[in-house]
Amino acid sequence: MRVLVRPAQYVALAGYIVFLGFPLLWLISASVKSSAELNSLTVSLLPSQWHWDNYAQALARQGLMSSAANSLVVALASTVLVILIAMPAAYVLARLKGAIRVAGVGWILVSQVFPVILIILPLFLILRTMNLTDSLVGLTLVHTTYTLPFALWMLQGYVVGIPTELEEAGSMDGATRLTVLRRIVFPLLAPGIVATAMFSFVSSWNEFFFALVLLQSPENYTLPITLTSFIGGEGKVALGPLAAGSFLAAIPSIVFFSIMQKKLTGGLMAGAVKG
Amino acid sequence: MKTRGVSTAACLTVTALLVASCSGGGGDEGGDGGPVTLKFQSLSDQPAAIEATEKIVGEWNDAHPDVQVEIVPTGWDGVYDKLITQFNGGAAPDVIHYEAASIVPFARDGYLADLSEYMSDERKQDIPEGVLDSVTVDDQIVAYPTELQSYMVFANKKLLTDAGVEIPTGDTMTWDQLREIAKATTKGKTYGLGWGLSSPTAAFMTLAPGFGGEYFSGTGQDAQITVGDGEMALPELVDAMAYQDKSILPVTLTQSGSEAIASFYAGQTAMTVQGSYQAANIAKDAPKDLEWVVLPPLAGPEGAGQAANPQTLSVNIDSEHVEESAEFIEFFTEADNLAALNEADALIPATTSAQKVMADKLGDENGWSTILASGQHFVSAPYLFADAYAQWKDTVATPAYQRFLAQETDAAGLQTQLTDGWDEITQ
Amino acid sequence: MSAPTAPAAGPTTSTAGRPARPLRHRGGLERGRRREAAALVMPSLLPILVLSVAPLVMGIALAFTDARLVRHPDYQFVGVDNFVRLADNSFFWDSFRIGMIWAVSVTVLQLVLALGLAQLLNSGLRLQGLTRVLALIPWAMPPVVVAIMWKMIYSPNAGPLNAFLGALGLPDDINWLADFSTALPAVIVVGVWVGMPQTTVTLLAGLQQIPGELHEAASMDGANAWRRFTAVTWPSLRPIVASITSLNFIWNFNSFSLVYVLTEGGPGGRTMLPMLFTYLEAFKNRNIGYAAAMGVVLVVVVVLLLAVYLRSQFRDDRAVKKG
Repeated sequence: MRVLVRPAQYVALAGYIVFLGFPLLWLISASVKSSAELNSLTVSLLPSQWHWDNYAQALARQGLMSSAANSLVVALASTVLVILIAMPAAYVLARLKGAIRVAGVGWILVSQVFPVILIILPLFLILRTMNLTDSLVGLTLVHTTYTLPFALWMLQGYVVGIPTELEEAGSMDGATRLTVLRRIVFPLLAPGIVATAMFSFVSSWNEFFFALVLLQSPENYTLPITLTSFIGGEGKVALGPLAAGSFLAAIPSIVFFSIMQKKLTGGLMAGAVKG
Repeated sequence: MKTRGVSTAACLTVTALLVASCSGGGGDEGGDGGPVTLKFQSLSDQPAAIEATEKIVGEWNDAHPDVQVEIVPTGWDGVYDKLITQFNGGAAPDVIHYEAASIVPFARDGYLADLSEYMSDERKQDIPEGVLDSVTVDDQIVAYPTELQSYMVFANKKLLTDAGVEIPTGDTMTWDQLREIAKATTKGKTYGLGWGLSSPTAAFMTLAPGFGGEYFSGTGQDAQITVGDGEMALPELVDAMAYQDKSILPVTLTQSGSEAIASFYAGQTAMTVQGSYQAANIAKDAPKDLEWVVLPPLAGPEGAGQAANPQTLSVNIDSEHVEESAEFIEFFTEADNLAALNEADALIPATTSAQKVMADKLGDENGWSTILASGQHFVSAPYLFADAYAQWKDTVATPAYQRFLAQETDAAGLQTQLTDGWDEITQ
Repeated sequence: MSAPTAPAAGPTTSTAGRPARPLRHRGGLERGRRREAAALVMPSLLPILVLSVAPLVMGIALAFTDARLVRHPDYQFVGVDNFVRLADNSFFWDSFRIGMIWAVSVTVLQLVLALGLAQLLNSGLRLQGLTRVLALIPWAMPPVVVAIMWKMIYSPNAGPLNAFLGALGLPDDINWLADFSTALPAVIVVGVWVGMPQTTVTLLAGLQQIPGELHEAASMDGANAWRRFTAVTWPSLRPIVASITSLNFIWNFNSFSLVYVLTEGGPGGRTMLPMLFTYLEAFKNRNIGYAAAMGVVLVVVVVLLLAVYLRSQFRDDRAVKKG
């Protein structure tokens, strides 16, 4: 029995590896094929001719670079904002009980269940009155708001892990609460902040729906929007550059997730990044 | 005191909101004195066409230091939804590139400027009547037509000759001829025809006039739909070819036009129906040993008419520079410019003079003479003036045609779905 | 419920610190603390109120109007007209049905496959590091890129899937995403691919918390692998499974981006998920009041379904405890 189990397990594992990994491999392969090869019916993982030009074309085309810059700005700004405003709130959430905590945790849960479609219509109207549609500032605020529940949840988990005795010791020395927070609590939160920041960044970088509705001028597009506009109408697709651009767009998220790998434990992360 | 840091954070948030609301949306300088900048949202996606557009705009900018045009490139995908949010968010560009059929709803909603006064008489006479009609909404000219697409049949010379088929010449070719050739060339793993019909509505609407199909009567909100013999003729012909003759490669029916080309390149299909613009791609991507020709325009019992749904340039009514925008479009549509653009896109210019420039220059290279000849057959299409057409197309017609082509519904079912869907939308 | 393995949150820890506080300042401190707490929470609360709570409320209100996205908006309260109209809209209910098929299949397949992978990752095989990184790729990638990538996999032109089937002697000319019979299954596979890692990671964390002794004890009793799974593993995982399934179901039901890029709801509406349908109603047909009504119906139905599911779980739990 035992003799058979191990090989069977490895076969299963191999199946998983192929299922999970192959699509990305294929994307990379398509990104170095010529358009003639991509439009032929011949299939091979390795290109008959390495066509690096796709990358140059993707980068040169229709503002991919400026979209990447937009994505970067929005992702960085919303990450910083999220961390800044979530830190104090997460502390309160973790340390207090009563109505605030119930409301806070309740909202975090409810926010996971929202269908964005119901929100996007009024959100569009609200932002329009503030002149914030078609604006990276507007998108940043929206991304901040919608990453916030998750960031709060994650951070408060870390706060709970900090023994209150440390704070008490601080207060005994006569330090104000804010000083205690600044000197004792926030430094201890550093690992949690890094993790939360990475997730916020990736959520914003990957986000599609809000950007689709809220951004209107191509010069404001974020990367996912620009990539879909590559697809083209009536299928006038330049597949090679599309594959190249897509692969490049996925790199930051994959890198961050690989760094985060060890921290990805359990439901703490549930809801971190979703389509 | 204790909470100062937090208040600072709160202030930061508020400030961010305020700053944003003050600075947001102010893209246009608009002040007096400085040069005017026009945003020109272009959908051109073929590298050559992008280049041609840039060249024309460059010439304009050199000649008009006071009115600078900035190209804002975007893709065709989802552009209708995008325009809706652009107009509603007050972020629409000054000059808008889009197809006639889809700008009508915007024109009716009052988002597009009336260009009747700005368009020169010379241009008005230069644009064939049927084409000019396609951009006239409620007696207002709301756009300049620029490029026209007709559906052409591209054929693999060798496969036709091998099957003993004489390659048709002449001014037009009938659908029956197409069907016969497709039958003759279907053998073994080779199919007579590949037709990318994943977005079937555009093709069926455009080609319906050849069978006397009109689909719509009346205009605006009063438009009525008719789906009778003329309208059903083409879908039923395709169905017969695909499932009785088995002369259409089935997978192509679910593909887009450009996806369906791959099987043509591979010699799996002897012919393929494509938008004329594919000539540019075929010339570039086809295997070197593939000898291809463009067959004469298709004609039904009612002639070779194809509905004109030109690409157009229109002007946002809220633009601060409607007049300048119209002047720019007037320049953009001069014969040489349109000829250069259409050559790059492998499309047919919307003005007679530009067609002539192209014909003189290109002769019979890459099937050009046949493509240009098909330009004579454009007729004005009633569907352009039915208010709910764009909506009907996406939510009713396309799914219904797809179901029909996949034999999920029969002809009667298709008829019912098309008409009931229209009633549901316009109730 | 969303964070089964998160450190036990809040109350117990925070009260633990209380007694140390100097009692004589109590009243003042409490008031001060409350104000302080409010100040600390304010910066988070503000954007949530403006950009999240307000739109939700407005969205619900919108559902009772005939609002349209037009140049000169002029809308009025129409009571429940939208809902009445919706009840008769067969397109909407078709898409609702498709949404249910999609959400249930994706959620179940995700769970089954993730359970398998989590077990493998928890059984001391080699290649674990590689597998873990690979397993995260679907989670990390932008949904738009995922969709573009799978479009290429499914392509009938030089797509690897058809080539693979062809090599096995199976039909190799299927246009997976555009064929009526294959489109929905094909997008479901992509949905499973995307959501599996998250479920795997959650379940793995759950597995790692099951004390090894339990398994050993079961082995001693001569239980085989399946028996050990049903007797030890599954009961321990049940609470995690319940919460992750609920969340996955909701996320999947609310899914938009993936299918928007993959098929835009086609062919013939076969993959028209409810969110997609509602989006088109709002931003193509411009009937935002009507679309909001659709949104409301979708939320209500999902919340009801979830309540039923969680109640059944809860009842099972009690039954188990009693038995």
